Amino acid sequence: MSRPLLAILVLLACSCASAHISSNGFLTLKATASQVSGSLELAIRDAELAVGLDSNGDGYVTWGEAQAHQAQLTAYVRDRLTLSASGSLCEVSFGALQVNARVDGNYLRLPFTATCSAALRDLSVDYRLLQDIDPSHRGLMTLGAWGETQTGVLTPGRVGLTFSLGRPRPLRAFAEYLSIGEWHIWSGVDHLLFLLSLLLPAVLRRRGGQWEAAPIARPALVNILKVVTAFTLAHSITLSLAAFNVVHLPSRLTESIIAASIIVAALNNIFPRVTEGRWRIAFAFGLLHGFGFASVLAEMGLPSGARLVSLVAFNLGVEIGQLAVVLAVMPLAYSLRATAFYRHTVMRWGSSAIAALAFVWLVQRATA
Amino acid sequence: MIRKERGLRWRMSMRRRLMMAAAVIAASGIGVAIGHPYTPASNSAVLGSVPAGARHAEVNSRLMARERIDVALPLAQLYIRQARGTGDLRFLGYAEAMLDNWIGPTSTSAEALVLHATVLQSRHDFSQALDVLHRALALKPDDAQAWLTVATVLRVLGRYDEAQRACDEVSRRAEPDVAELCRQGLRGLTGQLASAYAEIERISAHEMPDAERAWRDSELGEMAVRLGDDAAAEHWFRNGLHSSPDDFYMRAAYADLLLREHRPREVLALLQGKESLEPLLLRIAIAQKALRDPGLEDSRARLSAAFAAEAQRGDGVHRREESRFLLEIQNDPGAALGAAAANWQVQREVEDVLVFVHAADAAGVPEAAAPARKFAREHAIEDVRMDPRT
Repeated sequence: MSRPLLAILVLLACSCASAHISSNGFLTLKATASQVSGSLELAIRDAELAVGLDSNGDGYVTWGEAQAHQAQLTAYVRDRLTLSASGSLCEVSFGALQVNARVDGNYLRLPFTATCSAALRDLSVDYRLLQDIDPSHRGLMTLGAWGETQTGVLTPGRVGLTFSLGRPRPLRAFAEYLSIGEWHIWSGVDHLLFLLSLLLPAVLRRRGGQWEAAPIARPALVNILKVVTAFTLAHSITLSLAAFNVVHLPSRLTESIIAASIIVAALNNIFPRVTEGRWRIAFAFGLLHGFGFASVLAEMGLPSGARLVSLVAFNLGVEIGQLAVVLAVMPLAYSLRATAFYRHTVMRWGSSAIAALAFVWLVQRATA
Repeated sequence: MIRKERGLRWRMSMRRRLMMAAAVIAASGIGVAIGHPYTPASNSAVLGSVPAGARHAEVNSRLMARERIDVALPLAQLYIRQARGTGDLRFLGYAEAMLDNWIGPTSTSAEALVLHATVLQSRHDFSQALDVLHRALALKPDDAQAWLTVATVLRVLGRYDEAQRACDEVSRRAEPDVAELCRQGLRGLTGQLASAYAEIERISAHEMPDAERAWRDSELGEMAVRLGDDAAAEHWFRNGLHSSPDDFYMRAAYADLLLREHRPREVLALLQGKESLEPLLLRIAIAQKALRDPGLEDSRARLSAAFAAEAQRGDGVHRREESRFLLEIQNDPGAALGAAAANWQVQREVEDVLVFVHAADAAGVPEAAAPARKFAREHAIEDVRMDPRT
């Protein structure tokens, strides 16, 4: 036997276990009533094989090269990964590419949300990434729904898995929607700006065409309570009506009016028209803000069997988030109320800035 | 040569899986980069490298190549070699894609079957590897490669008598050096360690191809460790790594020697830049722990995540490493014993005996490792690292 052949012989006999971990795609899903949010993570190596990232062929993949191939990558994933509920396909939309460092190197992370027409009682995943190139590739899947986590492995021999999501226990649905509500108010700057615009003058009073500090705490507190309560009541009413499909308004209209409401509230601080009964503004526009909240819920849906509980929890979450902001800002406003900085700079220029920002939103939303 | 980590599927209990997940989350909370998606600040940030043979441009030719056996098999062999050389398991997957068409129940290609068995063996699927090898030998009883692979698999499984017979088959069909390494390695495990060591030392390394020389050096190094001659072992490991720097198994064995001699700094130097190989990362973590190096938390998180992913895949190629990780890094003897016992169901090398015995002793139930002690006693395995009770 010749030498070169022998070399191969020994090489193949060496039983050394190889060590780099095998090729895995990490599919992480979280399901709510009719929406699935999640991400797919593919190793740089695997993404290169799938679509070719290294444009300049130098053997290295840079962030710029990865980003330049985002469209190809999403198209590749769209072709080979589908989610469906009760037999009908969910519509997937992808977010911006990110990077995640894992044990064997960097992974490209493709976040997405999938909207399913059917209420999510079950979820089917069909995963066929890379299987023609590397049959040892596995889709490692984690699915969270209502506090329960299920896992699964997708292989070339088993490309599809169906998970039963069950129904949330009311307590679980409550906790879930409470946090969604809180999160929404934090990320929904427009609702907060509206409320703040109405609250800024609450620690002041209008005398002879000037703002001056409210002399004692009590009227300031009453002002704040009135505005917050009116806003809460109003948006709770319309949120409930919309959530149960009693009333429906086109979202472009409500979003535009929400932007307009901020302008009105902010301008009212600079050119006061309504000085004593600002809670009326809070109530009137609060009705429209409720439709805005409802559109968030409509995207996610309410879980069947726990609709009312989830709605109450979502609303409560919104109130908690709102209250947290009020509690953080108003004591500060109260302590600064006698300063010229507060009465002039904050009231005039702060309100102007809010109005200007809201005006941009109004134009964007009305013409979108 | 004592090379093999572990194999069969071992289902983790849900509780254990959750604990693992909790460990990952806890570990990743300590300010490590693992598991926190981010957007790189600069377009020129390098995310990773693309090794030769793994470029998208080659995919189409791969898909064509696998339709022709005369192209598919050499390519599969190349990928297997690349997996061996770099420790990169993905290349085994590429090899599988090449072999897919040629290993079905009606296959007449012994060569394809032997390559397939090699892939299975690398994934620690030993029983299936033996089945496939027997199919290959039924087609081509004279296949020296098939016999050598049979011998290797049987040795890992601790079936030394059958392995010795396979080595005899090799000696009738291959060069004497290879057959001698095959035979003496087994003698060294069955009560004749000192004389087997001397016999292998006598085989001249002169003119040996690198792969064969690496086999000889690592066999000698590991035999010297078991004889208690660490200085000689160090000589063989250094020698072997000089000619085969990519032999990560030998590197791991050398790192273990340094750890035993309380030389953790040298371990970090030896394994620098090899963090993506799990067995080597384990040794890095053990050295970091000894040095109270803050890098330990990152290594711990990486290893936890890797073992969790393996468990979810259901392959657990590194159960031996996992047991050591649980014992030496996580201080969880109970879990370490579970992993060691599962590992023992799959592979029975000297290292597996040691891992099992250590975990059982640490967990306060030495009798749990009775099967490993009995195995070592029955075969008269000599190793200074084993306590006399064994």
